[in-house]
Amino acid sequence: MNRREFFKVITTTGAAAAAGGCQQAAEKILPLVVPNEQIVPGVASWFSTVCRECPAGCGVIARNREGRIVKLEGNPDHPVNQGALCIRGQAALQGMYHPDRFAGPQRREGSALRAVGWDDALKLAADKLAAVRGAGKSRGIVVVSQLENGSLGGLMDRFGQALGARPRVTLEPFGYEWIRAANRLVFNRDAIPYYAFEDAEVVLSFGADFIETWLSNVNYARTFGRMHGFRGGRAGTFIHVEPRQSVTASNADEWVRNVPGTEGLLALAILKVMVEEGMVDRRFGEAAAGVEVNKVAADSGVSVATIKHVAHVFGNAKPGLAVGGGVAVAGSNATQSLAAINLLNAATSNVDKTVRFGPDSAYAQVTPYAEVAALAQAMARGEIEALLIGPGVNPAFTLPGGLRFGEAMAKVPFVVSFANQPDETTALAHLVLPDTHWLETWGDYSPREGVLGLMQPTMSPIRDSRPLGDVLLALGRSVLGTEEGKGPLPWTNFEQSLRATWDPVIKAGQWEQALQQGGVWKDVPAAAVIPKAAAIEATPVKLEGDAGGLTLLAYPSLRMYDGRTASRSWLQEAPDTMTQAVWDAWVEISTDTAAKFGIAAGDVVKVTSPHGTIEVPAYVSPTIHPGAVAVPIGHRYAPYHVPRYVRAPGAPMNPLALLPGAADPASGGPAFLSVRVTLAKTGARRPLAILQATHDQDDRELARHVDLRTAREEALRGKTEKPHDTVSMYSPQQYPNYRWGMAVDVDLCVGCQACVVACIAENNIPVVGKAEAAYGRQLHWLRIERWAEGKADHPHNTFLPMFCQHCEIAPCEPVCPVFAAYRTDEGLNGQVYNRCVGTRYCGNNCPYHVRRFNWYYYQFPEPLNVQLNPDVTVRQLGVMEKCTMCIQRIVAGKDRARDEKRTVRDGDIVTACQQTCPTQAITFGNLKDEGSEATKLRHAPRAYSVLDELGTRPSVTYLKKVVRTHA
Amino acid sequence: VSAADPSQAGAPTFADVNRDVLRTLEPPGPLYLGWMCVVGLILTAGILAWTYQIFIGMGAAGKRTPTMWAMYITSFVFWIGIGHAGTLISAILYLFRARWRTSIFRAAEAMTIFAVMTAGLFPLIHAGRMWFAYFLLPYPNQRDLWPNFRSPLVWDVFAISTYLTISTVFFIVGLVPDVAALRDATTGWRRRIYGMLSLGWEGSHSQWRHYRRAYGLLAALATPLVLSVHSVVSWDFAVALVPGWHSTLFAPFFVDGAIFSGFAMVLILILPMRHYFRLHAYLQEKHLDAMGKLILVTGLVLTYFYICEAFTAWYSGDNFERASLFWKVTKSYAWDLWLMYFCNCVMPLVLFSKRARTSPVVLYIVSIFVLIGMWFERFNIIVPSLAHDFYPYTWGIYVPTATDTMIVIGSFAWFFLLFLGFIKVMPSLSIVEVKETIPQPVKGGGHAAH
Repeated sequence: MNRREFFKVITTTGAAAAAGGCQQAAEKILPLVVPNEQIVPGVASWFSTVCRECPAGCGVIARNREGRIVKLEGNPDHPVNQGALCIRGQAALQGMYHPDRFAGPQRREGSALRAVGWDDALKLAADKLAAVRGAGKSRGIVVVSQLENGSLGGLMDRFGQALGARPRVTLEPFGYEWIRAANRLVFNRDAIPYYAFEDAEVVLSFGADFIETWLSNVNYARTFGRMHGFRGGRAGTFIHVEPRQSVTASNADEWVRNVPGTEGLLALAILKVMVEEGMVDRRFGEAAAGVEVNKVAADSGVSVATIKHVAHVFGNAKPGLAVGGGVAVAGSNATQSLAAINLLNAATSNVDKTVRFGPDSAYAQVTPYAEVAALAQAMARGEIEALLIGPGVNPAFTLPGGLRFGEAMAKVPFVVSFANQPDETTALAHLVLPDTHWLETWGDYSPREGVLGLMQPTMSPIRDSRPLGDVLLALGRSVLGTEEGKGPLPWTNFEQSLRATWDPVIKAGQWEQALQQGGVWKDVPAAAVIPKAAAIEATPVKLEGDAGGLTLLAYPSLRMYDGRTASRSWLQEAPDTMTQAVWDAWVEISTDTAAKFGIAAGDVVKVTSPHGTIEVPAYVSPTIHPGAVAVPIGHRYAPYHVPRYVRAPGAPMNPLALLPGAADPASGGPAFLSVRVTLAKTGARRPLAILQATHDQDDRELARHVDLRTAREEALRGKTEKPHDTVSMYSPQQYPNYRWGMAVDVDLCVGCQACVVACIAENNIPVVGKAEAAYGRQLHWLRIERWAEGKADHPHNTFLPMFCQHCEIAPCEPVCPVFAAYRTDEGLNGQVYNRCVGTRYCGNNCPYHVRRFNWYYYQFPEPLNVQLNPDVTVRQLGVMEKCTMCIQRIVAGKDRARDEKRTVRDGDIVTACQQTCPTQAITFGNLKDEGSEATKLRHAPRAYSVLDELGTRPSVTYLKKVVRTHA
Repeated sequence: VSAADPSQAGAPTFADVNRDVLRTLEPPGPLYLGWMCVVGLILTAGILAWTYQIFIGMGAAGKRTPTMWAMYITSFVFWIGIGHAGTLISAILYLFRARWRTSIFRAAEAMTIFAVMTAGLFPLIHAGRMWFAYFLLPYPNQRDLWPNFRSPLVWDVFAISTYLTISTVFFIVGLVPDVAALRDATTGWRRRIYGMLSLGWEGSHSQWRHYRRAYGLLAALATPLVLSVHSVVSWDFAVALVPGWHSTLFAPFFVDGAIFSGFAMVLILILPMRHYFRLHAYLQEKHLDAMGKLILVTGLVLTYFYICEAFTAWYSGDNFERASLFWKVTKSYAWDLWLMYFCNCVMPLVLFSKRARTSPVVLYIVSIFVLIGMWFERFNIIVPSLAHDFYPYTWGIYVPTATDTMIVIGSFAWFFLLFLGFIKVMPSLSIVEVKETIPQPVKGGGHAAH
């Protein structure tokens, strides 16, 4: 046999063996969207677009590797999020690669949806619409969409007008109508302004959960960090009024717990104190004339001393910022409350300084809820012939239960849904024409005046779905019978329509640049407003239901929003910061109430209001107002979650089912704070999967703090206490090139958990499900711990991001029998998966317990496996894993530096957690470089190491939280 | 008192010894076969459970963060401890010329080897990727990868493999004259096997001289191992950082506990043998008494260690150590701690009474308690210490699953299966050494003429 023959034999037998023996199904090769020259195998390309997971409209850059998007990051150029992304934005990839995504159009046959071809589906829809039009019932056609204010919105409106349909309904369950109404009242402007947290000295919030979901949570978390974080002796003050301790409340220097619905009263009382003490112009006294501070104190449960103290702090701020109108506290008096808050801003001359009209929020374009309610009534009366429901909205789930929208939908003869995943609304639809995911499509969105975000397809659709714009154009033409290039819909596809909208906006030849940048930003001049200091009648909030019941606080979940992101398993498994619970909803009950009803944590409780019933497990909390219970909005499971990760809940978990359908007359918005509920034990138990064993540090000083005065002194004079030196018999470790390390400013960490999901997405971390997570087998490399100190009902919370500390004297390393855990000469604590035998000795010996073990073969259900980062090993059964400080990014950074014939500069390498942190609490860098930011922070007076008494010498430094205490 | 006081009525003769020992090797009866079936079935269940675990992953066992070690390492340490008594009896007591060892040392040696064989399975069962367990051996390879000699687990590999080797060699060498006797008493294929194992033993004077010298040397070699093996095993814990583990007390503490439990296991094994094979003439009350005394003494020493352990934890003033101690004493695993104290500290006190020490029933019951207590002692060191260590975020309780419970129970079946097999194929009493303790028969008249 000669060489040639040998190879022939080898290749044929090899091919036969490969073909015959291969167990894996053939993988679909994904076509490339962009020209091939843009994609170099092994090198990532980045495409900028706009995140459409909520109306905040943050800029996103999507990392494309070999034609597939593997990671999303905030667009650093985008004015809204400035490079950061929230937890939901980070998890948006799971929406695109969702296993439940419709494979193609679906048509209802009986109770089931059956696949149908696009041609047939479009014909069916066109015929139906044409028939409705032919019958002269054009007004019976209605398009419902999420907040779309760009080309797609324009196209939908055009489509509706061409068909003679009703005006489009822009449905956002959290529309903040009460803020708009109050601004109309006080400032005579129907808008939601830009709140300049960054320029405030004192922020006073009345239930505005701006760290979580309020208006634009990344933007405001970032600017809040800038205002509040301790920097060179300067630190802002934040006072938060809310009946329950939310994540936002935990970040407050002072959390004031009030009776639900008394925000407006408190604002007026504060105004009154400021007027009486001559801190503000007397003309504002008129508004608060009818308010007695003593009575407000009695009604709101907030002491007179606290009211006065808050008034002093806020009145002396140069400038301050008062915000309000969180969903949970929006009741019948929300408009009055917001008007009172507006007066606080006006009285302290914050308008134009920290409250800026002009760059107004897109929220003002949301259709008021009252019109949605009117639509539901029209549907129930049978006036609606065809309902076209755009992607991103799920009215059968996200609207108050009292509205009975689902029942009304059943009366509509033809319902088309453009959702690309099954949900409660598609379950009622007659036809599903799946839209492409926003990462796969053209589009634009303007979150506020002056910010025009531009969207482009970042990869080709992974399922047989079509962009909504294209489908509307096709449908419209076929219904109208118009020829190409004529009529109201002159474009063949949505991209042309988009270009037509954008051509007047950008100069010729700048299209590419706008695409690259992710949009166009313009300075918007401030709009002058003149506040009216009219009297405000402070009425108590109207609550329906049993007079002896408990006030329901239904609040938007940081993770689920209104439920649209609940289908992402990453979010289900990222713990809620306050409860540290994963994979379930709960009702937060105060310790007193729980004792009264004999309810223990984990008991399934039936929560009943006049409008509905839900059943959720109890979470007993010492912090919530004893007269209230709280349930997070939006908990639901995607079909593929059950029973893979979690057992099916027996009853609905979404508190919106408990709310009345009627709109609040003052604002036209839904009344979220509007019912009292009764609790009843069902006898069943469903313990929550809570990842944190205790919030008590047991005097271990894991999360440390320093008071503001000491912090200032130390910032001026240097550290007063000397760090204790650890004595060693060994010579110190040498680092020939770099020593990587991190610094975490605990004072800046707001506990938003975005880093947790960024780490999951970057490092191919599997999802384990509720039971496994409850049993300490979650695989997250990074966790946000909540440590509570002080009084049980009023604790001071500190959020501590914890991940591998990359100790210089690492306890995990000497115990590994095979050198799978070892120290690199760049200061990392390496982990060689291939070498790991799985003795788990390192896991025991790590005092931080940040090592994670692969207890099973973890699956990435198709097509979620497409998302896996090709630069990171997918770990197999039986090996230990942990934070690598994103070693793949370090390698890439060093490669880039080598190509440019230089060493790595500070800021070249950014870890995934650091990248997405809205408050920039995490800093990565070379500790050998005295000039690097990480080194500077390591030598800062506030620096400490967690469990440093063990002599582990971590490479991660923490900076103590700065607490502002008042007597 | 000599073991073979000729004045004692009914003292066995050389011929009695041959007959009585060989009688144990007669074809088994239904009782024996019944026990074999029971043990075999349990073992099968254990093997199936292990297979399932290999297939599914370590998640099948109840481990978690922070208790990444649990019942497997508990059982590993337990069985290593059991393996101690055999070598102690055969080597140390041989060197000290404690003649009462003669009638029990063979069974104890067999027990040692089987216990170490059982213990040796557990690191494999425990490893997340047991198919790569050979990474722990310093074998030559192209990438020049060595095991980490700083890791106590590598020390374990050496300590245990050395111990198993020496114990096995010691056992086989001790068996040679007896196997020769078996060879002479059997026919057919049995004779050929025993013939091979007897290594051509003819009982010549020079063979006896070499045999004695070799046996003494091996005893001297094995003696330090008795102390070293369990000391090394204890360092798995002592070298680690975990509060409740990080203690210099552990080496003597573990060795004492090992002897304590080893003797209990010897009693568990030989008391039924004595009853069913009617070996009362060889396993006399004074043997039982001596063993009872040893259990009592080691039990008292263990109690002292327990006090030291708690005292140092408290006296250290270390927040972590104290929290760990107080948690163990009062919280989730308190039942385990108090059960251990009862079994290991209170129960052996019964043995202060001579009547108890000579009563097989009392001894058997005490031994069972001691074994339970010692298994839970190891569990108490491993699981509660990990469950409540440095980091409050991850504190958590270990819940055993059917899989790991079955594997642990199966390990007992594996041990008893080996032992049951042993007593039917090998002389479980040393013919040679028992005879040594009997006066030489006088030519012509025999001992009756004495």
